Amino acid sequence: MVNARILVVDDDPALAEMIGIVLRAEDYDVAFCADGAAALDAFHAERPDLILLDVMLPGLDGVEVCARIRAESGIPIIMLTARTDTIDVVAGLEAGADDYVAKPFNTKELVARIRTRLRPVTRPSSDVVRIGDLELDVIGHEVRRGTERINLTPLEFELLLALALKPEQVFTREMLLEQVWGYQYKADTRLVNVHVQRLRAKIEEDPDNPTLVTTVRGVGYRAGS
Amino acid sequence: MPRLLDPRAWWRRIRRGWRSSLALRMISMTVLLSTIAAVGVGVAIDLSVRQSLLDARRTQLVTLSQNATISGQRSFEVSAGQADPDIDAVLNGGLRAIVNAAATTSEGTSYALLPAPGQNVPGEFANAISPALQFGVLDVVVSESIRAAVGADEEGRIYSQSTGVPRADGTIAPAIVTGSTVEIRGVRYELYLVYDISDTQQTLSTIQFALAGAGLVLIVLIGVVAFLVVRLVVGPVEVAAATSRRLAAGDLDVRLPVRGDDVLATLARSFNGMAESLRGQITRLAELSSVQQRFVSDVSHELRTPLTTIRLAGDVLRDRTDRFDPETARTVELLHTQILRFEELLADLLEMSRFDAGAVEMEYDRVNVARLVEDTVAGMTMLADQRGSELVVIAEGGHFEAEIDARRIRRILTNLIGNAIDHGEGRPIEVWVDSDAGAAAIAVRDFGVGIAAADLDRVFARFWRADPSRQRTTGGSGLGLAISLEDAALHGGWLEAWSAPGQGSCFRLTVPRRRGISLGGSPLPLPPELPLESAEPAAAGAGDAG
Repeated sequence: MVNARILVVDDDPALAEMIGIVLRAEDYDVAFCADGAAALDAFHAERPDLILLDVMLPGLDGVEVCARIRAESGIPIIMLTARTDTIDVVAGLEAGADDYVAKPFNTKELVARIRTRLRPVTRPSSDVVRIGDLELDVIGHEVRRGTERINLTPLEFELLLALALKPEQVFTREMLLEQVWGYQYKADTRLVNVHVQRLRAKIEEDPDNPTLVTTVRGVGYRAGS
Repeated sequence: MPRLLDPRAWWRRIRRGWRSSLALRMISMTVLLSTIAAVGVGVAIDLSVRQSLLDARRTQLVTLSQNATISGQRSFEVSAGQADPDIDAVLNGGLRAIVNAAATTSEGTSYALLPAPGQNVPGEFANAISPALQFGVLDVVVSESIRAAVGADEEGRIYSQSTGVPRADGTIAPAIVTGSTVEIRGVRYELYLVYDISDTQQTLSTIQFALAGAGLVLIVLIGVVAFLVVRLVVGPVEVAAATSRRLAAGDLDVRLPVRGDDVLATLARSFNGMAESLRGQITRLAELSSVQQRFVSDVSHELRTPLTTIRLAGDVLRDRTDRFDPETARTVELLHTQILRFEELLADLLEMSRFDAGAVEMEYDRVNVARLVEDTVAGMTMLADQRGSELVVIAEGGHFEAEIDARRIRRILTNLIGNAIDHGEGRPIEVWVDSDAGAAAIAVRDFGVGIAAADLDRVFARFWRADPSRQRTTGGSGLGLAISLEDAALHGGWLEAWSAPGQGSCFRLTVPRRRGISLGGSPLPLPPELPLESAEPAAAGAGDAG
């Protein structure tokens, strides 16, 4: 198996190099980019499997870079952020980042986040899962409404699949954080909130009155109503 | 009702009103003093008017009596000179002349013609007394002193005296009595004329009434003037007082209106100047403070990138410890622990700067407090075991959910238990939970050395450490309790400390059960005590009841 390739977009050379050392030790291929404006070109040139993206970047800031990459690809993006309490995190997630790691992070945290995003989706027993009028093709990683194909990122697909596989179950945000994001401990529930919103915007007929992914007040989410 | 009737309550109220209202004091004093002055002046005027009125009246009446006496005497002499005079005719003619001459007031004049004492009176004539003075009235009206004076008179003078005449309705009419002597056929008679001077009294009363009315009007006027003046002066002072209160309450934009160019305007101007300079100072301080806060926040954030690099480097080194010689390996280990400590310190510092900037967001959730306590305690049991302390949860029944930010409450609890483990001397540590309708409380009690009373106030201060020489297991940035206090305050709750040297200490957290409601008390005493009959093992783990 070919090693997964990771693009590190960070303007701090020391940190970028250190991340490179850590990731190589974990048998990843690593490419670097230190400028926001050059990040998109680097993404095209390097064709990585995952991007580590610093929020504060010269040239073009991380949120904008994230949005541009997301516009053309569902590649897993993990933000590196120093300010978890500002709107940076939410802005990054809304721009399409799958997850974020708050500085200062350690090797284990970083590697755990990357592994989760690169792991293969657990295969359900059936190849096709239905939810409402949607059809999830588990093998082809595709979602169709009738003949229309809906583009989901791998994370969004995984989130929808988790809900669709157990339509009777109400998922708390913590359960989803563990199942989809791989968090063992309490994590930021904003991850779930933002991604459910993004998912609804893509699959619901009327995202303001969702019917496929509904909110259970005070508990979490479930498939159907 | 008893309060309304209680005179002491009224007295207190009046005293309070008196002490608190400058206007009331000034107006009352002015009115009181002017009343005293007006009464004094009124009495003086009344006395002098009365005196002069009576004097004039008396002089007039004495003259009248003199004329009447002369007329009577002449009449007596004329009739006495006639042949075969009838004594009755003589007397009647004389008396008629006297009464005619003395008739003056509407009330009429009474007379009494009495033989002087010691005179030999002809048998057929004893005296002549007008009807008003008969039946003993005469002795009341004409006093002994005037009778003595008239009786001793040798020069034909007229004597006068003030007196009173009983009226038919029982009241006494003021009167003046004059006494003189006349001779009828060689016999000396005393002639008393009694003049009713009710009309003079009437005049006097009218004057008194007018005086009293004028005085009253004057006092009322003075009161009104005093009120206006006081308002003119005290009004602005009261406005100034109210404005300073608002200023003190933090409303830095209030100003006094400046009118005219007098001393009050000067006061208003200086007040406004003071308020302006105060606002300037406070604004400057606030700016300085916010610059400092931002600086702390920026520094904390800027430190994070290099710290991440150091952390990763430390991790890489630590993963390769087995390749190093023992001293280098130990160095790497030290480096690692200090990086962790640095990280913790930075996180706490950042949290503190968030509190200072007021930039915190609460994530309220309905949480079973007893369960939260059990989870947290379970997570710290290993650490407690290492120090030989047993963690005992004492939850006394009936626990419901509370609306809290679980992350913050857990952080407070972790911090309190960590401190208790550090200072618990390996003795058991009790974690109490209880709640009532309004509040939920958690108390952490250790039985260690305790905190000196002088230090108890400072335990929540930033970077304060109980005992620098004490070994620490949970690290700690020195900001733990300060952050806990802020977290408790964000909930609208309390974090209180109790300690007795040698008996350990207790920290009690009380938060309202629902957000926004204010605390009335805590469900747990400080420190909580087990009832004597309640056995400890039975109480431990009772939180399942929730």
